[in-house]
Amino acid sequence: MGPTTAGAPLRKRLTVTFVAASLLLPALFAVSSPAADLSLSSRSYFLYYERELAGGNKEQFAPLYEYLSADAANLAGTSFSFHFYGWGRVDLSDASGSGKESGDLGSAYLEYLHPQGNAQMKLGRFFFSEGAAVETLDGGFVKMTTPLGIGFSAFGGVPVEHSILDNTKGGDSLYGGRLFFARTGRVEIGASYLKEAGPFQGKDRELYGGDLWLRVAAPVELTGQAAYNRSTREMASQRYAARILPGARVDISAGYESYSYKSLFQTTLNPAFFPPSIDNDDKVQVIFGVVDWEIVPGWTIEVAGKNIRHDKSNPGNANRGEIGVRHAYNEKKDAAGISGAVVTADREENEYSEIRGFATYSPGKFRLSLDALNQQYKRPINGKKNASQIVVSAGYRFFPSFLLSGDFQWTQSPTFSSDYAGLVRATLDLATGMGGKKK
Amino acid sequence: MTRRAVVMNVILAVLLALSFGCSAVSKTPSVPPKHPEELPTGRADCLECHKDVSSGALKPYASFRHSRVFVDSHGVYARQGQNLCSACHAPAFCQTCHAAKGELKPNTLLGDRPDRMAPHRGDYLVTHRIDGRLDPGSCFRCHGNRNDIKCRQCHK
Repeated sequence: MGPTTAGAPLRKRLTVTFVAASLLLPALFAVSSPAADLSLSSRSYFLYYERELAGGNKEQFAPLYEYLSADAANLAGTSFSFHFYGWGRVDLSDASGSGKESGDLGSAYLEYLHPQGNAQMKLGRFFFSEGAAVETLDGGFVKMTTPLGIGFSAFGGVPVEHSILDNTKGGDSLYGGRLFFARTGRVEIGASYLKEAGPFQGKDRELYGGDLWLRVAAPVELTGQAAYNRSTREMASQRYAARILPGARVDISAGYESYSYKSLFQTTLNPAFFPPSIDNDDKVQVIFGVVDWEIVPGWTIEVAGKNIRHDKSNPGNANRGEIGVRHAYNEKKDAAGISGAVVTADREENEYSEIRGFATYSPGKFRLSLDALNQQYKRPINGKKNASQIVVSAGYRFFPSFLLSGDFQWTQSPTFSSDYAGLVRATLDLATGMGGKKK
Repeated sequence: MTRRAVVMNVILAVLLALSFGCSAVSKTPSVPPKHPEELPTGRADCLECHKDVSSGALKPYASFRHSRVFVDSHGVYARQGQNLCSACHAPAFCQTCHAAKGELKPNTLLGDRPDRMAPHRGDYLVTHRIDGRLDPGSCFRCHGNRNDIKCRQCHK
């Protein structure tokens, strides 16, 4: 495994405690409830590719990945459930990462969903998004709404963070909550607080957040999120948007977003966001718009654009525009699309254009897909002005729960003159109980 | 058990009791933990079955149509409550992109699903320099504190 930020013994003990608790508790339920709804998903990937290094030596890589997830709902006939997600890698040839083995426990938590009032609780390792917090936590989360529409959430524990630098540890503890008012179908407004104790450029991470969803009229929604960084005493980020849904087939959104490098990146563990990689005094403002219009059943036009403005002349300002057409067919089992995008900028090195096309075809138990991408850079990178990639995939469903597929990938870019990769994928989905799940 | 652990357990117990208490007197039904019917393949369109009215999710179903607009701004809705997302999406679905630590790009994980809007297509090693210069905030959300060891090859 790569280096993690888990440094303090207390942090490690808490992590082990929470993970162990979340693993043992469902076991207790399972003993008393053979009728729980269980689902298990396994994704196994075997890749093979070669890379030519600067000295002319070639390395061969053959990593084997396993992604495993499990969900057990209706434990003991109650509203408790358990969820697990993790992955591991073993290299069968040269080391493709840091060492020949790697892996991570993404989540393992016990969840309670109350049948009324949308109250919920999580305990263990989980990813959550609440107000100013978008975190993976070893800890607890609880949320409830009173009949008056006033509600609150609270969370606390040890953040799961990874640094790519040795001897750089992340936060020791993280806690916070959100107070909100919601009126069904009309408005939801919230205020949140988050504090993470840690050595983030000499200060703890402390955020005050605000969020809003307002249905102004039947087809018009306004949304907003803002976060104030107490450590730097300024707004870290803001995003406001209006969304218009004039009919069942048209969806339009436009808005404004801004953030400050110094305040948004203050707590980063990735040196890509540190000076001198970036100018910490820079600020960004973005105006954006997106349109999704199903002009006739099955045919959709997607148009998007944004204007990015920097306080600093380097990297300067830029515009991105893109347009695409998507077609859904075969009872929506398949789709095809073509799209193009152009980035224009004050500085030539930031300009490029791209065109992409894809299609899928699923006759019977077969599934075939093709994805092609070409990018043209205004200024050559490593002496090249373009990059291309083609991915072809073919699969066969041997059983309703088992799909075997293979991908072949060809890439040429400024990084690699020619790069071939093969991938074999085995997908197994086992489930009891009824109900739809988008895996 | 350490004093800190005892305090944490007591706090959790109190919060759980509050959760039960507040919800027990509520008359609003919760979003079901699992969508009651098998969903068709393809991009979800709630309006095909649901009329555009509010639910226990508090927002009209039209807000959750999986259009390009929704995909671009799904975080806005998720931040105000993930329970509706989890009615149809297993938690692992979110972690395909939001994993705390990953090595395979979402685009490689979903190489057989080009119709999904998985990010980082092609040799993104090159293009990320440009996108990262112009809008580093969009990178930070996933890579700021949840990193890939491969970043170290260049970012030291």
